[in-house]
Amino acid sequence: MAAQTTLRAPQLAGYTEELARAEADIANLQSKLQRRPGDQEMRVRLAYRLFHLASLTGNMEQFEAVEAAVRRDLREFGPKEDLCLLKANLDFRFHRLAEVKRDLEMAPLLAGRFEGRVLLADLDFQEGRYEDARLKLEQLIKENPTWDNIARLAHWKCKLGDVAEANHLYEQAEEDLTAKQMRSYAWLELQRGALAFQHGRYLEARMHYRRAEDAYPGHWHTDEHFAELLAAEGRFEEAEALFHKIIARTPKPELQQALGELYLVTGRPFEAQSWFDSALATYLESVRRGEVHYFHHLADFYADAQLEPPEAVRWARKDIEMRSNFSTQTAMAWALYLNGELAEALEYIGLALSSGVQDARIFSAAAKLFEAAGQSGESYTQAAWRINPKHHNFHMHH
Amino acid sequence: MADHNDPNAVNHIFSDIDYSPADLYDLFGWPTAESKKVVFALTFASAPAAGVLDTDLLYRLLVTSHPRVGWPEAEEISLDSVLRYFDAVKDKYLGELTTAEIRVTVKTPGSVLVKFIGFPCGNFSAEVDANKVVDIPTPDGQSIQAFIGGRDDAFFNDLTGFFRSINYAPQFYHVPHTMTEARELPIPKTLLELEGNDLFNYRPDMPEWGFSQPDGTVPKLDLPPGPWTWSGDKFKKDADGNFRFVYDGRDCRAGQNCNAIILEMPHSFITPATAENRLVNAWGESWVLKAAHKVESIPDDPSWLQHPWKVVREKELDDELRKYKLVDTDGQPFADAALSEREDDRQLGANNFWLGPHFIKRLAHLGWGFGPSISALGLQTSFDHNNSPVSVYKTYDLVATAFPRIAKTLFQKLNMPDSSWNPKGLPIPLRRPFEIFIPNVCAVDMDTNGTWPFGRRLEDQVATRFLAMFLDMDAELNGKPYHVDLLGDQALWDSAPIVPKTPPNPLKNDKEFLDQFPYLAAPWPENW
Repeated sequence: MAAQTTLRAPQLAGYTEELARAEADIANLQSKLQRRPGDQEMRVRLAYRLFHLASLTGNMEQFEAVEAAVRRDLREFGPKEDLCLLKANLDFRFHRLAEVKRDLEMAPLLAGRFEGRVLLADLDFQEGRYEDARLKLEQLIKENPTWDNIARLAHWKCKLGDVAEANHLYEQAEEDLTAKQMRSYAWLELQRGALAFQHGRYLEARMHYRRAEDAYPGHWHTDEHFAELLAAEGRFEEAEALFHKIIARTPKPELQQALGELYLVTGRPFEAQSWFDSALATYLESVRRGEVHYFHHLADFYADAQLEPPEAVRWARKDIEMRSNFSTQTAMAWALYLNGELAEALEYIGLALSSGVQDARIFSAAAKLFEAAGQSGESYTQAAWRINPKHHNFHMHH
Repeated sequence: MADHNDPNAVNHIFSDIDYSPADLYDLFGWPTAESKKVVFALTFASAPAAGVLDTDLLYRLLVTSHPRVGWPEAEEISLDSVLRYFDAVKDKYLGELTTAEIRVTVKTPGSVLVKFIGFPCGNFSAEVDANKVVDIPTPDGQSIQAFIGGRDDAFFNDLTGFFRSINYAPQFYHVPHTMTEARELPIPKTLLELEGNDLFNYRPDMPEWGFSQPDGTVPKLDLPPGPWTWSGDKFKKDADGNFRFVYDGRDCRAGQNCNAIILEMPHSFITPATAENRLVNAWGESWVLKAAHKVESIPDDPSWLQHPWKVVREKELDDELRKYKLVDTDGQPFADAALSEREDDRQLGANNFWLGPHFIKRLAHLGWGFGPSISALGLQTSFDHNNSPVSVYKTYDLVATAFPRIAKTLFQKLNMPDSSWNPKGLPIPLRRPFEIFIPNVCAVDMDTNGTWPFGRRLEDQVATRFLAMFLDMDAELNGKPYHVDLLGDQALWDSAPIVPKTPPNPLKNDKEFLDQFPYLAAPWPENW
């Protein structure tokens, strides 16, 4: 019969529980595959579960295991659509955009599938074809308004200036998610928080980050956002402690670079150096393995963390050869400027601005370049302040 | 600056579709206690386990009672008439009809809150333990029996045979989720194997092909490259001249459990006018809590918990439902699998009148498969297939073109095997397919014994009865009119030129049903 109950927030399962479940699923699949090693469906499922696990941890070795599994399955079973799609997602994640196109072509009909078209829209955005990306996303949403595509369109709006619409779309995407998708919900909250952060609204950013943490407790990715926010707020000791904690769990080089930069900001270059060394070693090791996804970080590293303009130009150029968009163009412009190549720098910043991007840091960089060239950068300075009056505060290279 | 946005990094893309407690299986309903009470049993996937309920789920059983009024134009067999019927159903369900509701939310995996909303005696609630038979007193002094928890799945059918009959590739082949065109392959649907249909015909070297195994796996093959068509012109026959049945009659749900909401309610609790309102219609819905509200941890509305008899305002109810997302609906068996093609956006419940025109086209498409199969067995079919000697793959864009083929199937009265369905011998009209499937409700006639289509009793073999719609109910066999259980008659198959000699689906459940509440058998042991 009816009874009075205690009203309190239930403890939600989060990162630790999902990690354990993913590992158990993988162990279960591997055990079944020992009995039936040739079972295609189970092998494909295993590859997807490995991808899921690696996405959770961000661990490069685990991503390598996914890659090995996908390659093995492709060799054995041929270019099955689900395998090609997984490989395309993996390649996209690691900036291998030419590979993504090849993956989509491997299975002849994949590029025309809904999931294939989503990746083509992502490619358009990464390669600077913004209008094509928007039209594709709008069409996909018209056909099937999935939360992830709505979030993609939100990102588009956020970068190209319609912040209110971006926020509205993120909310709409959240509305589509159920209690069975709390990790995705937390991710959307982080996007909303980051959107607020990029506009200097730290309280709002914190509120969203907290919701992300409440929705999906214990994820290092949420902590990463908190650490950045703390540093931007000038709460350096708390930020430092949190960065240390995250790095202990997930020794990603971009986090090590961020911690080094935090030490620089707080006037401790000696302590910064060891983190920079460690980050750089990992970036370069990745490059030695033939990976390309740290090119952007290397350009930033040599431009901001450890000033070596020629190296910054070198890596920015490699990055832009793969994907020319307002982000890589700005990095290129900034590196060239630092390297004293102002004319070419102006060309690249012009390209970035012509995209219509609305970003305080890009506008701030543009103002500096125009002023260096003897032109007025005032309008960009003002625009940068309008968008984010705190854009000079600490930020991470995500 | 952030230069990527990659939701797929957190999205599962689609590799794993979890076994979901929102997946509704069946809705059973029949009168009891000399027609003074009615039982409804809504069954759904037993996740996380049989007897353990998911706290993110909300289930609704919507109930309405009204007089038995036949469609006045039922004798006019025309497309206009059936379309007017769909319109009338729409007006009824969107307009005049008042629906009461039993809403179940899961408090803990072992206890649930049951809310009774919109019944004549007022709104009230009860918190009950899962897996126990409980009596819930009503404000007007009556009593409702309830059981919410794990049971043996009461559905028994040869699901693999059904999938083979509609050439449903994912049951037999590794089909990536992206390949939406490789689900029902463009091969004639059929009850008898087609000569040269190498994609789906039985393989002696793989007798378990497409059947779920005890470890949860299903033996499948690689889908060969297309085109996945069939260019033959006859049914397959063996050296003895026998057809090969696509069914083998096994119970694919044997040994498997479900979770269930089972309620036995006085008819007078549902309507004060029990003498006039002889029909009790019901349908089930599953809803999943939205993520945003999971974070807020929605405390229960204290009014429900502290004042169980309190009448709450509509707004409060809507506020609760707005926190959930509708996932699945269930009314009639096969309304989804056979007629709505399991599309997510066709989860309309009773409001499936929007699908009326689609229903006609789909039924005609099925008719071209099943009709010639029935004729080949020497039986009469209700479907007009122009004496086609073999099943045909045909789809329709226009309802007007499909209708003449399927008119008789839609309008014919479905004969019952004997008079046990109508114990009082009342002048109750036999039901017609268009009335059965639109609206998508379990319509219990309180003056019958509630056997399908006058409700749905646990022992009804509805999968076989569904196929019987394609039999010509004006025809006779051995001097007796065709009826809904004809295809379940072993004697028919014994004399038919077919192997295996079995009715398409098992004749009874793998576990005996109980003769008292909660009627569904206790669950099988689960070792996870």
